[in-house]
Amino acid sequence: MTVVDEVGGAAAVAPPTISAKGLSHAFTDAQTGRTVHALDDVDLEISAGEFVTVVGPSGCGKTTLLNILAGFIKPSVGEAYVNGRLIEKPGSDRGVVFQELAILPWRNVRRNISHGLEIQKVPKAEMSERVASIIELVGLTGFEHHHPHQLSGGMRQRVAVARTWVSDPEIILMDEPFAAVDAMTRLTLQEELGALTVRTGKTVFFITHSVEEAVFLGDRVIAMSARPGKIIDEVNVPVDRSERTWELMAHNEPLQETVEHVLNLVRGEAAGSREADI
Amino acid sequence: MSDPPNSTVLSAVEASRQQASSHRGRALLASVFRALFPFTVLLGVWWGAWAIFDPPEIILVSPPTVFSAFIDAIQDGTLPTYISRSVGRLALGTLIAAAIGIPLGWLLGIDDDISSAFDPLLRFFNAVSGIAWLPAMIIWFGFTERTILVIIVYTMVFPITFNAMTGVRTIPRRYRDACRTLGAGRLRIVKEVYMPGSFPGVMTGLRLGIGFGWRALIAGEFVVGTAAGGGIGFFIFDARTQGSIRKVMAGMIVLGVLWLLADRLIFKPIEEHVNERWGAVSE
Repeated sequence: MTVVDEVGGAAAVAPPTISAKGLSHAFTDAQTGRTVHALDDVDLEISAGEFVTVVGPSGCGKTTLLNILAGFIKPSVGEAYVNGRLIEKPGSDRGVVFQELAILPWRNVRRNISHGLEIQKVPKAEMSERVASIIELVGLTGFEHHHPHQLSGGMRQRVAVARTWVSDPEIILMDEPFAAVDAMTRLTLQEELGALTVRTGKTVFFITHSVEEAVFLGDRVIAMSARPGKIIDEVNVPVDRSERTWELMAHNEPLQETVEHVLNLVRGEAAGSREADI
Repeated sequence: MSDPPNSTVLSAVEASRQQASSHRGRALLASVFRALFPFTVLLGVWWGAWAIFDPPEIILVSPPTVFSAFIDAIQDGTLPTYISRSVGRLALGTLIAAAIGIPLGWLLGIDDDISSAFDPLLRFFNAVSGIAWLPAMIIWFGFTERTILVIIVYTMVFPITFNAMTGVRTIPRRYRDACRTLGAGRLRIVKEVYMPGSFPGVMTGLRLGIGFGWRALIAGEFVVGTAAGGGIGFFIFDARTQGSIRKVMAGMIVLGVLWLLADRLIFKPIEEHVNERWGAVSE
């Protein structure tokens, strides 16, 4: 009873894990010298433990949004908060998994994964225990001493995911992490990521240009328009995340309908912007 | 690689690695032969020209004559002494130039303000080649060891600095961003991203710098001469006073061969290894 009360009370008082209001961002393209209006009046609320995916055409400002949440850039207008604190710079409460290889080539698998723990000055014994268990979890056993150049693309992204997970950040921001991986490996990695997030209950903000990936992974899918990026609509995905597999995706009607719905949102927008261009 | 790793996979990897290394052995042998071929042709042309035109000894001598001059210089001990002096100077020069150039390059690579302030100055002094400083150095330091050393260090510092700087600048930005999200501060990023990430650039700079330094060294030894105890450059320059084209040629060939061996057996393999492990991994 008391536990329920506490949880209920906390939920009522605590602000959402991530919240942003009226985010707009413009920057000058270094190559063309033109002003790029990347984001336009984006509101965002993500609760603890939620897996939110953002889908939209390339150049719709998804990555800009992630960069703001990560603290790499400051929005031109608006503010973003983590647990009520203004985001001003990167922090270890928000882990980031990048699209391209961002693990360090001169560190082996184990030392890449332990890097965040070294920085946090986690004691040696605890560090090696945590690293060993995450290595097993992501299926890198036997490759601890390999360097990134000796690994396949899929394995490198596993290292990147493991490096982020092992530091146990509250929130994980992922920027098309499987875009550069071959299609078969991608399916496996998506299922594994789904299982990992269900198991660890992390709050995840995940960017993709694949509608199927967005629906497969997310509790909620945010569809974004082409530049300047705006939120077109948000769609709650049916079927509990813990039950989703690619086989289920292929046969489950509510999931299929969701994919179609989101696809129409994104494509309608893309078509609209093409007409506007002409 | 979505299947879990196991010992069969690992042993298969090991087997293919061994096979690859025997292939590499054969490929290496083939490339050595390919590289020797033009030298053989050149030697043939030289020898042929000498036989056909029969020039006086002051103009051109035959390969065997040059070889015997080389053997003589080894036997009387001059060449070994001189080579070790020259190589010693180059090594000392490299240490000093690296100690100056690498940190300077890092600083310029990391801080855009410092770099935009000092870059033109550095390029100005780079254009005034080390050899152009020789007269001034002789006035200041005389015909001494120090003059030679300053010239080679001066020559080497620029390529080392610029390449260390480029090495820092070509590190993908996402490495830095990733480390910031892991909680790394500026100092840690310098130590754990910029310094190791610039290693390929540093190695390129050292290789280039040593090459330039080797040439500057010869020029320095020409001018400073016997006062600094000789050297391979002095060996060549001194042979001129004796009108001994055979010694001049022997010395020049030693110069080229020494450099080629050092570059192929030491610098290039190190650079390749470093590029593979420290360079950005392509997808």
